[in-house]
Amino acid sequence: MAKKPILGLFETADNAADAGDALKAAGVSPADYDFLTDTPYPEGAFGERPEPHKLYIFPFVGALIGLTVGIMLTSMTQMAYPLVQGGKPILSLPPMAVVTYESTMLTAIIFTIIGIIFESRLPAFKEGLYDTRITEGYIGVLVNVEESELTQTQTLLTQAGAIDVVLKAERISG
Amino acid sequence: MEVIEPKGHGQHAGMWVFPDASVMTEDVGEKTKAMPRPFTTALAVTGIFFVLGIVGFIARAVDDGFDDIAPWGYYMAIFSMVFMVTSGAPLVSLAFRFTKSHWRRPLSRVAELFSIVSILNLLMFIPLMFLLPDIANPEGVVEGELAVRKTIWFEGPIGAPHAWDLVGVLFLTITSMTILWISAKPDMAECRDTATGFRRWLYNFLAGNWYGTKRQWNAQKAGLALLGAFYFMILVFMHFVISSDYAQSLIPGWKDSIFPVIYTITSLQMSLGAILVVLFIMRRWGGYEGYIGKSTFWSASKVLLGVTLLWVYHLFAFFITFWYGRVEIEQNVIKYLITDTYAIIFLLNLIFSFALPFAVLLWNPVRRTAWGPALAGVLVLFGGLMFNIRIFVGSANAAPGSNLYRPFMEHIPAPVYPDVWDVFMVVGGLGAVIFLYLAATKLMPLISIWEMKEGTLYQKWGKFLRGEYLILGKPE
Amino acid sequence: MQEGKPLNSKQVNRELLVSILNSPKWFFGALSVLGFIVLVAMSTAGFMINQGFGVTGLNRPVMWGFFITNFVFWIGISHAGVMLSAILRLSKAEWRRPATRAAEILTVFSLMTAMTMPLIHTGRPWRTVYWIYTMPFVPFDYARGIWPNIRSPLVWDPSAVYTYLTSSILFVMVALIPDFAVLRDRTTGISHRIYGMLAMGWQGNARQWKLQIIAGVLLSALILPVFVSVHSIVSWDFGMAVSVKSWHSTIFAPYFVVGAVHSGVSAVALVLIILRYIYGWQNYIRHEHIDALARLLIVVATGWFYFFVMEVLFGFYGREADEIAVRNFQFMVSPWNIWMMIFVGITYFVPVAIWLSRSMRRNLWIMSLACILVNIGMWLERFLIIVPGLARKQLLTFDWYTYRPSSVEWIIIIGTFALVSMLMLTIARVVPLIPLYDIKEGEILRTEIKIGRVTVPAVFRED
Repeated sequence: MAKKPILGLFETADNAADAGDALKAAGVSPADYDFLTDTPYPEGAFGERPEPHKLYIFPFVGALIGLTVGIMLTSMTQMAYPLVQGGKPILSLPPMAVVTYESTMLTAIIFTIIGIIFESRLPAFKEGLYDTRITEGYIGVLVNVEESELTQTQTLLTQAGAIDVVLKAERISG
Repeated sequence: MEVIEPKGHGQHAGMWVFPDASVMTEDVGEKTKAMPRPFTTALAVTGIFFVLGIVGFIARAVDDGFDDIAPWGYYMAIFSMVFMVTSGAPLVSLAFRFTKSHWRRPLSRVAELFSIVSILNLLMFIPLMFLLPDIANPEGVVEGELAVRKTIWFEGPIGAPHAWDLVGVLFLTITSMTILWISAKPDMAECRDTATGFRRWLYNFLAGNWYGTKRQWNAQKAGLALLGAFYFMILVFMHFVISSDYAQSLIPGWKDSIFPVIYTITSLQMSLGAILVVLFIMRRWGGYEGYIGKSTFWSASKVLLGVTLLWVYHLFAFFITFWYGRVEIEQNVIKYLITDTYAIIFLLNLIFSFALPFAVLLWNPVRRTAWGPALAGVLVLFGGLMFNIRIFVGSANAAPGSNLYRPFMEHIPAPVYPDVWDVFMVVGGLGAVIFLYLAATKLMPLISIWEMKEGTLYQKWGKFLRGEYLILGKPE
Repeated sequence: MQEGKPLNSKQVNRELLVSILNSPKWFFGALSVLGFIVLVAMSTAGFMINQGFGVTGLNRPVMWGFFITNFVFWIGISHAGVMLSAILRLSKAEWRRPATRAAEILTVFSLMTAMTMPLIHTGRPWRTVYWIYTMPFVPFDYARGIWPNIRSPLVWDPSAVYTYLTSSILFVMVALIPDFAVLRDRTTGISHRIYGMLAMGWQGNARQWKLQIIAGVLLSALILPVFVSVHSIVSWDFGMAVSVKSWHSTIFAPYFVVGAVHSGVSAVALVLIILRYIYGWQNYIRHEHIDALARLLIVVATGWFYFFVMEVLFGFYGREADEIAVRNFQFMVSPWNIWMMIFVGITYFVPVAIWLSRSMRRNLWIMSLACILVNIGMWLERFLIIVPGLARKQLLTFDWYTYRPSSVEWIIIIGTFALVSMLMLTIARVVPLIPLYDIKEGEILRTEIKIGRVTVPAVFRED
């Protein structure tokens, strides 16, 4: 049976952490619940699961591409017009190094940005459980449980101190 | 001292240590007194190297005298290396203290102890004073030659450059030793009651009047700040003077405004590298693992990575400016120091001062270890030696005799290879530094006890919600 | 040291979004005035392009004057963004929190403004289409089949500036995602849709925040080398030239970079003081932040002064007649020597004397004055490097001339200042100039340590 989401809203971080403990004690897998906050909390502050990522591959791939493009661009343009200019050799390495360095860094940064957005699983415009009070400082605990366990989970969240429980999905963005 | 398990979770496992302040003095005092077998062996071996160095020096002096600078290139190189490491180290300590970081605490004393070795600077510099050619052309005004060679002293005011250089090196040594004294006073005071023999006398002499009153602590803080600023200024000035007088001005026509900066950066890089090596040895074999967490290596290695990148950046700035214009003298300087005569030394310099340390320090998991930054430290020290050999052997042999007074270096000299006395002097210089440093570690505690104790007040391990994290207080 | 009182999320949202969600009365007036100045400047530039460069003070041999000085100046200001944002983020300085966004946005706008300078300086700017030669544009002149000459510093320049601009814009946009989410949740209608698109469905879960934090650190580490390279390459526009004495100096690259940091950080300090005043952000831009900036500036200014002394000293070192001629012009000939004295005084001695005093560091009027003086001084620095070198170009004494800027150049220069101010003011209506989540993070990580009778402010640190 498909899992359904349920969102509990908590006023304080302590209550949200209590909810996390209660969910763990109830046997809910850490992969099934998330903490939604309006500010970054230190990793592990709510006892949540670690989030592995492969972001570091992106800048390296980008740098490699940028390096290749840079070397190709600089060397091919110089060889296309083999004019001795200012006594400098046709393939002038120091200027090549400057332009290649810039293209390497540019592509590395662009790929890093792509990587950040991708690893953050963005864009995520799909309908999802969310509440605008989260950006007011409330902490959301988003749980995915079987439909039959929704009521039980709602009770668990309310007992942990949730000021509201959201069940109906809405689009996150307009 | 019982080792407290280092703290940190996940990728930060083992980063921070929280030594026990109550047993620190006793523990560090014992470590200072201890003379284990490996230590005495190291002392003996480096002592032998030191003696070899003196033998090499005397042999060179007997063979060639002090009239011509050309045979002394390797001596100049090793002097410069010793100067760079010993003069730069206290600055590393002061700079990190200025930023009020907590991770610097274990390395302050390690850095400051190099000031004892700086006495060697002074001694090694004295022959260099006699070796430096006159600014004024001894043959007077000769066609095709300059009456006064180009130096930072221009027409050569009274005493320039010898007296000024000596005064500068002297001031540097005195200032760095004063900084060490002021910084170590509280520790010496603490250890004076448990010390015996010569140490007891020394601590009483240097810190007899220290009782740790509020007024004394404030005065110490102000004194270190002021002396630190003064040391920084005089260090930068002396790097400028030594690099100009003994390198740049000896290659006729070499006009390079960035060279003093490169010299200073190489010095910072080497001294930070040396400090990291010492810290690694202390942690691995010295029993200091309870005092030196991996966070110190992690943070210091980021600085070393930055300085390494700065080094190659400044080198490139110099190179491309000279390369671009196709000016004959600049092309000659590049051929001499980089592409032709000393090409192999330059390549080694580039690889060991930049390529390899960069490759090592680029990886965060490596920066988080103790061995990674220490390995980078060893690499940059060797790279620095190559730098000094390239520059100073190059400058000593660039323009023999009256060619020094010509406006430009017209012919590119051949490389000068070391003979046995040069090897003795280089090895002797390195041995002397290590020997004196080892001896200094027995005079004063290698860890700054008062700073570590201060750190225990401001660094805690605490709970936040369901996680445990470092808590850092801000002393202000 | 955290001096301010604790703030909750609702308060932070309300106070920091005041520039976006409310319409202060003075806003449209200020925008109109600045817009008018920009319009006048654009018309003047149009007039200049129509009439030719004779309407400026440029003439052989001083081919580069106010416009290039201004170009270098604005590139310099752009360096503040990375200096504060990247270096303080990497060193985990707590006091960076209110400063980073304003600095990054100032970077973007000052870079864009700087690029207009060489554009109008070409005289026939439409021809630069042939020159659009760096990523992501294709560097090929289709009409004539000509590739750009990568051996020229004037080609390295756009490659560096475009890289820096692209990186800075992307960095700001990524860092803005959580704040766009806050705005998405606070607005309705078309604004809600646009912010929603920009927020990309941000929820604020642990993964997204973790990647944000890593993004900040990783991008900072990647942008820092770019930042160093940009102003170095701009300096090499001058440094590579052998024909102009006093320009061909190896130290130009780091000298310009440190000078850029000096002027840029001073500009950011000034911007922060202005923002604090106009938006009532006393809780966020506190005296401790300005104090910390001033102490950083002492170090940067001293580093700059060291490079300045090296550059001048080695100018004299070679004792070459043509270089001495330039230095003579800079130091002995009126009014250039007067400008030189003023420049050194207001760039280093006066501001550092101010910054050494704690009470003056914390006096916002005096700090504003110091920052303005630094920026005037740094503008003069570039001017005194460029123009005297050209005015005494080589020993062709028949060609020696001077430079007197015309009103056309003055208007365009003033126009660039108005442009940057106008852009900053406009963007303050669209994005929060202080990062909301950064401030909130600082609040939740606050704690205290008790040492004896004293309670010391402290912070939780993940690493």
